[in-house]
Amino acid sequence: MLKTEGLGYWYQDKSEPLFQDINLTFEVGQSYAILGHSGTGKTTFLSLIAGLDKPKAGDILLDDRSLKKIGLTTYRRHDVSIVFQAYNLFTYMSPLNNLLTAMAITDAEHAGDKHFALRTLNDLGINEDLATRNVQHLSGGQQQRVAIARTMACDAQLVVADEPTGNLDEDNTKEVIAQFQKIAHDRQKCVIIVTHEPDVAAQCDHQYRLENKQFTQLA
Amino acid sequence: MNFFKRAWLNVWAKKGRSVLLILVSSAILMFVLAGLLIRSAAVKATDQAKADVGATVTLSANRQAAFKKMQSSSSSTSKSSRPKMTLTPVKLSDATKISKLSNVKSTNVTSSTTVNAKSYDVVSTSTGMGSSNGGPGGMKSSASTGDTQIDGVTATSLTTAFSNSQSKITKGRGITAADKNTHNVVIENDLASQNDLTVGDTITVKEIAGDKAKVKLKVVGIYKASSTSTSASPMSADPANTMYTSYTLANTFKGSKYANTADSVTFNISNPAKVSSVKKAGKQLINTSKYALSTDDASYQTVKASMANVKSFANKIVWLVAIAGTIILALIVILMIRERRFEIGVLLSLGEARWKIMAQFFTEMLMVIVVAVAIAGAGGKFVGDQLGSQLVSQSTTTQTTATSSTGQPGGSGQPGGNGTRGGAGGPGSTTSTTSAKAADTDLDINVSAVDLAELGGFGLAITFLSIMIASGGILRLEPKKVLIS
Ligand SMILES: Nc1ncnc2c1ncn2[C@@H]1O[C@H](COP(=O)(O)OP(=O)(O)O)[C@@H](O)[C@H]1O
Ligand SMILES: [Mg+2]
Repeated sequence: MLKTEGLGYWYQDKSEPLFQDINLTFEVGQSYAILGHSGTGKTTFLSLIAGLDKPKAGDILLDDRSLKKIGLTTYRRHDVSIVFQAYNLFTYMSPLNNLLTAMAITDAEHAGDKHFALRTLNDLGINEDLATRNVQHLSGGQQQRVAIARTMACDAQLVVADEPTGNLDEDNTKEVIAQFQKIAHDRQKCVIIVTHEPDVAAQCDHQYRLENKQFTQLA
Repeated sequence: MNFFKRAWLNVWAKKGRSVLLILVSSAILMFVLAGLLIRSAAVKATDQAKADVGATVTLSANRQAAFKKMQSSSSSTSKSSRPKMTLTPVKLSDATKISKLSNVKSTNVTSSTTVNAKSYDVVSTSTGMGSSNGGPGGMKSSASTGDTQIDGVTATSLTTAFSNSQSKITKGRGITAADKNTHNVVIENDLASQNDLTVGDTITVKEIAGDKAKVKLKVVGIYKASSTSTSASPMSADPANTMYTSYTLANTFKGSKYANTADSVTFNISNPAKVSSVKKAGKQLINTSKYALSTDDASYQTVKASMANVKSFANKIVWLVAIAGTIILALIVILMIRERRFEIGVLLSLGEARWKIMAQFFTEMLMVIVVAVAIAGAGGKFVGDQLGSQLVSQSTTTQTTATSSTGQPGGSGQPGGNGTRGGAGGPGSTTSTTSAKAADTDLDINVSAVDLAELGGFGLAITFLSIMIASGGILRLEPKKVLIS
């Protein structure tokens, strides 16, 4: 569903691109891990796929339509859902209102459905008591689960995550990755996770490594 | 309208910050309201001053024209014969025509002369520094002057001395229009007590002009003249020797050719703003080479000027505070947007439109402003009262100084919310009001629905502008830079 065509990006110097001429395809119902050392450009790549920045070279196509045509704001609203290392929830709201707000902004099918939001949170181990507290009173693992619930409550086909387990302990990491697998397989979405941890990458269906300005698929 | 819900959640969750914002906005709006209140009170006071403060138009002989005529005749005739300035007495038929013009409220005919005391003794001033009571400037038609001043009027209540309380009736009554063609007289208290006269008594005077006949007068009232006479002139008699009669009697004393004439006729104008238009219309009705129309609306002008000062100051307050308030709120919003750039980044990553994010901030500020308007509405009256009385006392002082420096007898206009009483202006002027209360300097400060609506408008504009000024922060914000470090 998502394709990169000759994708390239650099910050200051065109002769020193982070990556160049990247041609990759991502499908629904699959999870992808992008591995690489720190500073190789994983996050930059993800920001392009998430529609937070424009490519310097090449193009990104969603179902054969260029993101430029779709418009980045519309793309972010309807087609992609992002999970960050720092969770990035609305700190002045409860988990429930975080979900309801995201659902309203993205015109989700269940927008305004409080019970659906509570059920989604409950599936991820956030009970109603936790769901109605201020989100800052939750632990890191719980907050990241709220962030994942937020992507589930919205209808976007594409879920991208940048180091989603970076702030979590071992148990929470396992739980979160298992949830991403569920999103890909049960909900038939396309999940792309950026990580520098091989253990985390190993749990995904496909692994790519960003090295020397190129992506190479690992066996 | 999800941004509305977000705004509410934010305002509610961050109560401390919201309360602080409400306090700042209340303070700003309180000063805006104070300015608005003072301005509307000044407008009201000016309107009231129009109704309360007197202004007059006076018809009298044209002195300037007469003087010119005298000069030209002196150059043509031989130097031995002294030229004489002849002033034509005002014809009452002209006055009647003018009195029928619109905005003329009342008419006072004045005709003055002197007679000699017969049945009583005049009051003599030991210092010789007595002065005339500053009454209507009369033309002394005779070369010889009697010891008793006769001020013929339509009604004593219409004269300057009585209308601004320099003189007061203490026994009996004053001269009214009904005393026309009678021998009724109002005498001064000192003269009455010196001669053991009281209301109902009859006195006799002797004419100076014509057949020098003895005339009997009936005392119908006794008045007390204020002792504070200003223009000291050794030649004039003690003010106690002034009697008020109907102008018809004064004319009789002057002689038969003075029937149906007057020294001057003063018209009280109901709307001081219309003084010049009355003068203009009046000029069409008279022979301007012989007669002149002069105006006196000094009291009104004083009040008007001082209220205009207050008004322009209030306007300045409103705009200065509004502009300063907008800048202050804009700075606060700019800081707020910086502090909340993560939240804005998340909203943008979810695909929220930037204008809706601005709408959320605007709504948050609006919620704050609504509460602030209510608080300012309650507190604005207090600030307005304080500021208003301060302003009025200042501008009144300034105006009083300005007035007295022009050497005008009589107090200056005293602007005040429920008073705006104006004291007398120059000689010959008449004011319709009765008292000048120096203490009553408050503006009538009241918070009306209109004021609150206007305040709400200012609040809205300040909020809108400050969000607009700060919106650059939202429009330029790049979610990638904020969210991905
Ligand atoms: N806004 C930026 N301006 C200039 N250089 C940047 C910027 N963001 C990242 N970089 C540089 O680009 C490289 C890739 O960064 P990033 O995509 O964050 O790598 P990764 O996520 O793999 O650690 C790094 O060397 C980083 O210093
Ligand atoms: Mg990174």
